[in-house]
Amino acid sequence: MWAMTRRLAIVSVLLAWLSVPAAAAQVTEVAVFGAADLALAFKEIVPKFERVLGVKVTLVLGSTGMLAKQIEHGAPADVFFAADQTFIDDLAAKGVVIPETRALYAQGRLVLATARSAGAKLIDLRQLSEPRIRHVAIANPAHAPYGRAAEQALRAVGVWDELRPKLVYGENIRHTLQFVESGAAEAGLIALSLANVATIDYVLIDRALHAPLNQSVAVVRRSARPELGLAFIQFVNGGEGRAIMKRYGFLLPGEF
Amino acid sequence: MDLFPVALSARVSLTATALAMLTGIPLAWALARRAFPGRRVLDALVLSPLVLPPTVLGYYLLVVIGSRGPVGRLLDALGVSLAFTWRAAVIAAWLGSIPLLIKAAQAGFEGVDVRLEQAARTLGRTEWSVFWSVTLPLAWRSIMAGVVLAFCRAFGDFGITLMVAGSIPGRTQTLPLAIYDHVQANEMPQANVLSLVAVIMVVLLLIGVGRLARLRY
Repeated sequence: MWAMTRRLAIVSVLLAWLSVPAAAAQVTEVAVFGAADLALAFKEIVPKFERVLGVKVTLVLGSTGMLAKQIEHGAPADVFFAADQTFIDDLAAKGVVIPETRALYAQGRLVLATARSAGAKLIDLRQLSEPRIRHVAIANPAHAPYGRAAEQALRAVGVWDELRPKLVYGENIRHTLQFVESGAAEAGLIALSLANVATIDYVLIDRALHAPLNQSVAVVRRSARPELGLAFIQFVNGGEGRAIMKRYGFLLPGEF
Repeated sequence: MDLFPVALSARVSLTATALAMLTGIPLAWALARRAFPGRRVLDALVLSPLVLPPTVLGYYLLVVIGSRGPVGRLLDALGVSLAFTWRAAVIAAWLGSIPLLIKAAQAGFEGVDVRLEQAARTLGRTEWSVFWSVTLPLAWRSIMAGVVLAFCRAFGDFGITLMVAGSIPGRTQTLPLAIYDHVQANEMPQANVLSLVAVIMVVLLLIGVGRLARLRY
């Protein structure tokens, strides 16, 4: 009996090692690296683009700062949608992305979100000081554009220093949303494009309180198929893409 | 539901553990049995992956093996890419786990009675033969404890892997990264299933690793 268990265990280890499916190479693949605020909008855009062009899109979402670093060090991205254009300009200056392919594709909006479990919806940033709000989630200002905007807005209304002990940092804006969505943080400053979920209420934060979240994109120089990256950019900035982006609350080029 | 991360994690952690045995056991033996210049520094240095935050470690690794780093450029010229492939995940898991193996194995080697080795030498055994037939078998239990710890650490690695292999679905997204991704997307059912799968798999693999490792002695 024990000998059999032993043999089974050994076989299972070997099987585990061998069982990684080989990457399907038949279909052309495009690797799209994107800021986390695009999660919901791109969930709709990607399948449409795949159908139109007959390619497969691998979507990698993360904080703009981390993705930029990874692309700089050779991550296999074909096209990079940043949440802040300064990252794209910086990569262009370093020769990592193709400058001629740079394009604005959206302006992000910041909202003040309240977990429904935390009671009445907050409508003003100053209310974050209330004792019932014990944790305020923002994206990490050091490398996430929405975090930077959140810090600017909180400073602009003069509550930054007072709120500091309450702040919890998400690694990117999707992670930040999760803190509020789960009720772990009673409130947070998140992206409008992700805010439409069942467990939170939100109000827009005045755009004048922070530097504009102008989001731009570019094709990565190392890409083996730059024309597909370019096609994806054109799709997002085309009629179908714009309609979807608008529905998720992004301001579009030409509107700001 | 996509089970690719499950298979990838199994493969990465097993490969990393094997690699950690190949590199860690000789190093542990040298640290325990040989006097050489810089031994104390090396002794402290092998622990550094446990002390440094994983993301920092991952970033250092990325700088070295990324397309701009010295190793990365060399490999690029040879047509091999390391960063952001499953091999990078193996290196990440190996780096994070090797201190655990080295420290346990080192203690094991230090615990072997030198007189037994000397007795073997007086009977005409070569150094090589003494190592294989006396030192290694006597230290084996400690080494195995280190191997199991290393495997656990390799399986669970998050920070180093995220930095140097990315979290590319279907390519480098290991089980811990996939669970994190599902939690972020508030896809709790998937996160729960994967977490459960992780527990079952680790138990199975730990039994397997333990058995495999006992084959020789």
